Amino acid sequence: MGATPAFWLFMGPFLAGLVLFVYLPIAWSFVLSFNRAQNTVQPREFVGLQNYIDLLQPGPFLDSLWTFTIFAAIIVPLTFVLSLLLAVLLNQITVARAFFRSAFFLPTACSYVVASLIWKLSIFNGVRFGLANQVLSLFGVENIAWLSSVNPPWYWLVLATVRLWLQLGFYIILFLAGLQRISPELYEAAYVDGAKAGWQTFRYITLPQLRTTSVAVLLLNLIAAYQAFDEFFNLLSNSSLARPPLVYLYYTAQSNQDYGHGSAGAMILAALIVLVTLGQNRIYGFGRPET
Amino acid sequence: MPAEMSHLPVSTRRTFLSLVGALGLGGALAACGGDSGGVDTGGGSGGGKPTLKQWYHLYGESGTEQAVQRYAQGYDRATVEVQWTPGDYESKLSSGLLSDSGPDVFEYQLNVDMVRSGQIVPLDDIVGPVRSDYTDTDITATSLDGSIYGVKIVDDTGFLYYRKSLLAAAGVQPPTTMDELINATRALDRGGVKGLFIGNDAGVTPAFGGGALLDLVLWTAGTASLTPDNKVGFTTPEAKDSLSKLRELAQSGSLLLGAPTDWWDPSAFTQELAAMQWCGLWAMPKIKEAFGDDFGIVPWPALSATVGKPATFLGGWTSMVSAKARDVDLAKDFVKWLWIDNAEAQEDFNLSYGFHIPPRKSLASRAQKLQEGVAADALRIFNESAVAPNPMWTPKMKSAFADAATAIVRGGGDIDAELAKAQQAVEAELARLAA
Amino acid sequence: MRHSPAYLVVARYAALVVATVLFLLPFYLMLRNALSTDREITGVNWTIFPSSLQWGNVAEVFEDSSANFARALLNSAFIAVAQTVGTVLLSSMAGYALARIPFRYATPIFYAVLLTLMVPPAVTFVPSFIIVSRLGWVNSYQGIIVPVLFSGFTAFLFRQYFLNFPRELEEAGRIDGLGYLGVFWRIVVPNSLGFFAAISVITVISAWNQFLWPLVVGQNSSMWTVQVSLSTLMTAQTINLHQVFMAALISIVPLVLVFVFLQRYLVQGVAETGIKG
Repeated sequence: MGATPAFWLFMGPFLAGLVLFVYLPIAWSFVLSFNRAQNTVQPREFVGLQNYIDLLQPGPFLDSLWTFTIFAAIIVPLTFVLSLLLAVLLNQITVARAFFRSAFFLPTACSYVVASLIWKLSIFNGVRFGLANQVLSLFGVENIAWLSSVNPPWYWLVLATVRLWLQLGFYIILFLAGLQRISPELYEAAYVDGAKAGWQTFRYITLPQLRTTSVAVLLLNLIAAYQAFDEFFNLLSNSSLARPPLVYLYYTAQSNQDYGHGSAGAMILAALIVLVTLGQNRIYGFGRPET
Repeated sequence: MPAEMSHLPVSTRRTFLSLVGALGLGGALAACGGDSGGVDTGGGSGGGKPTLKQWYHLYGESGTEQAVQRYAQGYDRATVEVQWTPGDYESKLSSGLLSDSGPDVFEYQLNVDMVRSGQIVPLDDIVGPVRSDYTDTDITATSLDGSIYGVKIVDDTGFLYYRKSLLAAAGVQPPTTMDELINATRALDRGGVKGLFIGNDAGVTPAFGGGALLDLVLWTAGTASLTPDNKVGFTTPEAKDSLSKLRELAQSGSLLLGAPTDWWDPSAFTQELAAMQWCGLWAMPKIKEAFGDDFGIVPWPALSATVGKPATFLGGWTSMVSAKARDVDLAKDFVKWLWIDNAEAQEDFNLSYGFHIPPRKSLASRAQKLQEGVAADALRIFNESAVAPNPMWTPKMKSAFADAATAIVRGGGDIDAELAKAQQAVEAELARLAA
Repeated sequence: MRHSPAYLVVARYAALVVATVLFLLPFYLMLRNALSTDREITGVNWTIFPSSLQWGNVAEVFEDSSANFARALLNSAFIAVAQTVGTVLLSSMAGYALARIPFRYATPIFYAVLLTLMVPPAVTFVPSFIIVSRLGWVNSYQGIIVPVLFSGFTAFLFRQYFLNFPRELEEAGRIDGLGYLGVFWRIVVPNSLGFFAAISVITVISAWNQFLWPLVVGQNSSMWTVQVSLSTLMTAQTINLHQVFMAALISIVPLVLVFVFLQRYLVQGVAETGIKG
């Protein structure tokens, strides 16, 4: 069998399904984005770029991009630092490493629904039987309404911790794999040159050697933050206090049934993600086809 | 051979069936094979009788689902398949109505865009003859452009529940104005029990069924989100006053915030986390169970002794007929049979599980459970103070006003600027509807 | 690596133990609440564990006829397994084609696959549902499973993995007279079982945890999955906290078991996704 028939044999079924169940809906959505489509998904009323223009005016959609920016500014550096720190610690110990690794990795098995349930009803519940308030009451602190309080905006603490709990394990494993690929000889050579173990070797050997892993962690993390939906949806629902882009689009499409604006918003988001991916690809080359 | 994983239903089904067998789940799944067939056979089953698909959201009270199944079985002109939907009923219903796989008969609230896009049919011919047996509020809530599009199946409403003993101990009366409410809330905040619970969102953010006060603060200030002639009604001086009173309440520190469940669940009240709570009629049995006679109800207080009057909402669900119903006349006949003619089922549905007011006035006035005590107060408050939602008020308008109210009441934002933004968004929607 | 001073070793373990406690805390809370009465959960005095463990709560969840939890577990298990087998089969072959089979338009096709990762699903939801409805697949297992089999992300991961697969092994097979299909099935797959296991676990988790699509496509209650069932308990008029936590706990047990048994592969697989240090 020649290469071309073989390619189609391997790729054909996947591509056929992709066309029917992914590209067709995307194309449909693309067409709708240039139409007024209220309580219908039939493109019957062409409005040109009007939906795009509406969304890019000051308003809830641009606010949602701002919410994403705040969220990313909190979650990306925290995830990066904490997962790197825990991976380095894991890499430095010899006894019970598998146990600790399992403990950090186990939350990955939970859904955002279950995690949000625990966070909302048990840890950051705003009344006396919430764990956080129980602990604070030992120090004489009054009950804090974690998800309701606006000044200060404690809900960011709830949103950030639930995501950290669910995703840190994955990034710890990525970093750990990266660390284990660094050749011990590099460190030995540095010691011979008089470098001290600790910050110096970390700064001049470990970090540079982890460059590709670091870029991957940052990028995956950024895209995941950008597509954040579940914890916002489950903890805050339709709240203008913190409504990231996907939550806004969900309510635009499913609740307002405004599929024209909803589709236009999806296209803008897709374009932004493509830009970010292309930008990093130019600089770092993560995900670039190597054939 | 992987290429056989094609998209033809037949071959895929075979693949799945062999998988089922291999996993040893065959017995369990085959037992329910009747409804996993995929292709809807429409009028096939039940000895030639046509099939009607009827959709409900999930009512929280146990026994309700069995009850609606029982009613459905009593209809002899068609086989009625009832679907009961937990979680996101809105998404399931909107997807269903946009496709060929939606319901024939369903419950929801009337919304202008469902009418304008031709998703539902008018029901004047079945409601018309008994129109006077519904309250005007019910008719307003189900009518648009002079036609009636739905039949109310349950009426819900809400009250400010208060603990008589706690009010007496604090020396306050049940509030009738916003200032009295703010004072009472402050006075009742003692010993770990907060003064009032109106939802974790302070009543203004439409999350998890929240935003309970968005309309109320306007109604009790003598206005409404949309005036009867469909103009923006939330920028009057009284409306601004009312929002700033609500902000004062929200920032008093005496409001319960951060409860595990929201205003629609009486738990905060029954667990004695707050001395007063805004909650629905549906919660009354639970509250009675917890406190016996030690509680009372009033509507939401007026803005002041001279401006506005106390109010409550008209909620509940409305049965409608999809324009895509396989047999529209049959679907209408079923709605008439169940929700207009079948008094026994209506009384059972409204009063045997949760606690609702039967929409038929003749039924409500003779229902035993609504004759005495606090329940009788409830019926009186409902008849005197319930305001109908305006079907022209679209979700997008609500979202714009709620964003403004959230910024004002919870965030301390500028009242004029926030309301002006909301006004702009609402007027854009009104212009779209006028086009 | 040099030996670290003892105080440093102690400090490292101390830090890891603290982190472990924090990571496991939510599991403890779920277990504690699931085995308590509501009165104990909402009580003023916090108890580490309820005075008597309420094992009856397990039966209570299964006996709640409106949630139909046992049936939902079966549905979820079937859907998760079928979806995983299908996804892994389809996307491993696609990934292999993109990584290893020379074809003029392979690069544009690869970019087209990547593009699907970037369009948010919230808005393509309704068009997808209408396609399923036209196929007559509403209320069927294939309606829930088939449309989500075509995962661009999984195909991308497989491609990255196969790019690093040792070519010598494949060439040995080629010399033995195997075609592309033969090399793939007899050499590549058997030598990549760890990675296949890792991707399977990831797919099982996401299949098990999906909510909206199974809710909307599987309309009848006989089609409900665990997540849908769980949401019936959370939308009850008055929420029974112990029941919700017990249901949540039961819903994660199968995944935790999968995790415990396949963790080794998963860790290895994540490390092999082609992201090199």
